[in-house]
Amino acid sequence: MMDFGFSLSKSSTLNLDTADLSLYKKLCELSPDARTCMACGSCSATCTAGPFSGMSVRKVILDLQRGRDVKAMVQGCMLCGKCIMVCPRGINTRNLILNLCKIYDR
Amino acid sequence: MIDRIPSGFHPFVLPFMIGMVFVLLYCAYGIVKIMIQLTAEDRKKFLISLVTPKTLLKNIKDIFCDCLLHVKLWKRNKMLGFMHSSIAFGWFMLIVLGHIEVILFIPERLHTFYYPIFFNYFVAENDATVAGSLLFFLMDFFLLLVLTGIALAIVKRIRSRIFGMRRTTRHSLINHIGMYALWAIFPLRLLAEGFTAHISGGSFLTIPLNWVFRQFLGNDLNMLPTWWAYSIALGVFMVVLPFSRFMHIPAEMMLIPMRNAGLKIRGARKGFARVQVYSCPNCGVCIDACPMSVSKANIKDCTVYLTRQIRRGNEKRIAEISDKCLLCGKCEALCQVGVEGPQLRVMQRSLRKYALEPDYSNIAVEPLVEAASGSKVLYFSGCMSQLTPEIGRSVESVLRKAGVDFTWMDRDGGLCCGRPMATAGRLDAARAIVEKNEKIILGSGADTLLVSCPICYKMFRESYDLPGVRVVHYSQYFSGLVKLGQLKLEKSDICYVYHDPCELGRGCGIYEEPRRLIGLSAAIAEADKTREESVCCGGSLGSLSLSFEQRRKITQGALDNLYTSHADAIATACPLCKATFARYSDRPVRDLAEIIDAQSTGYKQTER
Amino acid sequence: MKENIVIIGGGIAGMEAAKQLLCLGYNPIIVEQNDHLGGHVSQWHQLFPDMTPAQDLVRRLGEEISEANIFLETTVSYVNKLKDGYNVMLNNGVNIVCRALLIASGFKLFDATKKEEYGYGVYDRVITNSDLEAWFNGKQDPRIPDKPARVGFVHCVGSRDLKAGNSQCSKVCCVTAIKQAIEVKEKFPDAEIYCFYMDLRLFGKKYEDFYINAQRDFGVHFIRGRVSEVGEAIDGRLQVKAEDTLAGKPLKVTLDMLVLMSGMVCNPQATEIARMIHLDMDDDGFLRSRDNVYSIIESNRPGVFYAGACTGTKTVPETVAEARAAALGIDAYLKSL
Repeated sequence: MMDFGFSLSKSSTLNLDTADLSLYKKLCELSPDARTCMACGSCSATCTAGPFSGMSVRKVILDLQRGRDVKAMVQGCMLCGKCIMVCPRGINTRNLILNLCKIYDR
Repeated sequence: MIDRIPSGFHPFVLPFMIGMVFVLLYCAYGIVKIMIQLTAEDRKKFLISLVTPKTLLKNIKDIFCDCLLHVKLWKRNKMLGFMHSSIAFGWFMLIVLGHIEVILFIPERLHTFYYPIFFNYFVAENDATVAGSLLFFLMDFFLLLVLTGIALAIVKRIRSRIFGMRRTTRHSLINHIGMYALWAIFPLRLLAEGFTAHISGGSFLTIPLNWVFRQFLGNDLNMLPTWWAYSIALGVFMVVLPFSRFMHIPAEMMLIPMRNAGLKIRGARKGFARVQVYSCPNCGVCIDACPMSVSKANIKDCTVYLTRQIRRGNEKRIAEISDKCLLCGKCEALCQVGVEGPQLRVMQRSLRKYALEPDYSNIAVEPLVEAASGSKVLYFSGCMSQLTPEIGRSVESVLRKAGVDFTWMDRDGGLCCGRPMATAGRLDAARAIVEKNEKIILGSGADTLLVSCPICYKMFRESYDLPGVRVVHYSQYFSGLVKLGQLKLEKSDICYVYHDPCELGRGCGIYEEPRRLIGLSAAIAEADKTREESVCCGGSLGSLSLSFEQRRKITQGALDNLYTSHADAIATACPLCKATFARYSDRPVRDLAEIIDAQSTGYKQTER
Repeated sequence: MKENIVIIGGGIAGMEAAKQLLCLGYNPIIVEQNDHLGGHVSQWHQLFPDMTPAQDLVRRLGEEISEANIFLETTVSYVNKLKDGYNVMLNNGVNIVCRALLIASGFKLFDATKKEEYGYGVYDRVITNSDLEAWFNGKQDPRIPDKPARVGFVHCVGSRDLKAGNSQCSKVCCVTAIKQAIEVKEKFPDAEIYCFYMDLRLFGKKYEDFYINAQRDFGVHFIRGRVSEVGEAIDGRLQVKAEDTLAGKPLKVTLDMLVLMSGMVCNPQATEIARMIHLDMDDDGFLRSRDNVYSIIESNRPGVFYAGACTGTKTVPETVAEARAAALGIDAYLKSL
């Protein structure tokens, strides 16, 4: 490759070849139900913290599956539990968030 | 009555003496340790309470009623009450009377610990006095009382259902040793005193027994071995006491004054929490009480096992038990000792370290303050009520009818009250949420905070500092409106069974107002288990780890309890209970606010 | 003397099976709890994908089974197994002994009031798919505004929802929602239509064409996100909250009317009968077929056959095909005895 003295801006492609999914895998060990999310968005729509911090359990799970950082979203969570009530797959979302806070290592 | 043994000593008293000294030293060490563990403020509070006549009297009364007479247990279960009070009070009286005997007859021996316990071995009867025979009669009477209690205890171990207990605790080895030693003490005492009764005298139990023995035993060779056995049983009991459930006997005597001093659990394992853990008598009342025990798999997660695991320091099990609990508070309400199972669990949760802590610094309160301002009455419906829109709508409608000027604080969403965060043990994060809400509420200029969700209500009441603001649940507020004539209720012929939400009933002690309001608007029936015994709906946010399927079973159990009333519909006063019950209920589930809204007219309408 | 065969349920499954059994020389006896035949289809307006008038189908089937014995407004009080057949006791006192029994009890629509967050029975402008069909059929409904500017459809109400007790897909709601969206748009050409879906499952013949039509010719908006809450504005209009999962943003929209696509659950009558003669139930709450590939119409008990939605969610063509298969299955079974 020829060096032109500048580089292109960082690719916005999600590269699953290089993505670090270790956090997601660790989370799935503690909260196996994370795998059953079908990304319906109920949790995000109902989220108490969402309007203030962009918190969305759906996005947290998806971003972890793609190796992206979720810190800011999770920090906004108030654990109010509405997402547990609406999740059509019965995911224990509160426990999932608590487990994530426990093992978070970025 | 004269001293029979000149030295006033016999080696058989040694097992008892060793046990007794050991227990006293252990307890002294425990008291010192716990006092050190208390915060300076709590320690001061506790010590002051010990010299305040009012609390001192209360302490004595409570210890006498709870530890000896088991008054609370009597009210709950006569058989269990009799069993416990006969053993505890009977034994206490044996000790007291033993001392009186020594004081009356051989006062010079009072300095020995063992004389009142083994009195009958060391004395010989010379001339029967009235006082002596009365004392002997009482000694035999209380011994009989204790023996009856022990007999009942044995029956209870074999068939607990006779005592109305479906399940009892599975005891550990050390508890079994302690228990068998306790059971052995009194029959052995009877035998020992029986063998000695022709020398020391006795009464209606021991003298006939002595006569029977002497019919076929020509000598006194059996006397010493039984006194040895009696002393050994006592010694064994005392030595295992600190490591077994019987530690609750001394611990409860510490718990009662501490509670009366107004102490709260502050640490997870130390100080007052430690006293609570040791005060658990392992009776297992919490097992049948626990709504989770509908599934056999959850039985080992009841409070009795939490205290056991805390004593053992089994961190894995402590975490499991603490996380599973719904924090419904029923075990605490039914606990005869008053072990605060839910609070103990929250404190265990608070020990957990998180790598990621919440951060709410980006939440600006100003727009929320503005949205909340405008009226003296501020209505907070809570997050969950957005999933049960009937509740907010009904509260709004009732307030309009009654002509109350109000502002709906979280109509378009607001902050969480912080209780779910607090119950997860993340107390600092909860504090941060509380502070935001405090700013909003105080900034709104309201003087009344009207709350419809019991979870929020408990939090506002207990953890918020809102000077000048009256925090009120809508059942109380609407009762007030009815009293003032601003709201008129008309009876319908539907029959409701009222489900006490955990946080409203046991949590805040509100049982009457909802019932009164339903009574004015409809017919009301009671379920089998009701008020402080009401069964959690299973939806509680208290539990961190219960799965949806496990919750379903709990809900079904709670519904089965409500169905016992044969009511047409279920009434409750909590959005979480409503949403949870509505999933599986075979009959309509209504919030109290809906019932009131349907049956009420405001004063404006009635004027017309 | 023709052999009696009891058919429980007079919907299209029961009617079609009766028709075929008549052709095969049996005496089908239909037991129907309502006062008319045709079940849910008789309440429907038009059927996808050809927009066939539902009444035509019911009428045609009705004419073809005029020779069958039909008990309307009748339910089964008790069924018990005899040595080589079943004794069916009806609530009108009639007792029928038969060697073969066909269960065609169909489905029940999920009770949308159970999802209080959607506001059915709470707000004035929330209706269900069946309410809308009734309105198409000419029934007055005050909840439907004269000139709605915005109408929403919520897919998967009570289906694919563990919290509603039904984790299975109701299969027909996606295409029904699109069909109804088109019909609403035809009635109110100025209205904007929003369909809130989790996944669009348009698997059947012509279904995808329907979808394309709805997009291209009717401008129906499809939003991928499950509605979480419905609120009410001061003017009585509805405020719907969902997440637009494709945009990754919470979404709010004010609507004049919301249609809930209630899913299918097993008819409680089927559960009752299953209890009486020990038929296996599946974990989705429907009756369990011998297997789900080759023997859908067969039960675990000899002589008991299934047709239609009693074993799971079915479309009309599937139901009709199963009814025919069940009639042949019964014939083969009786001949093998």
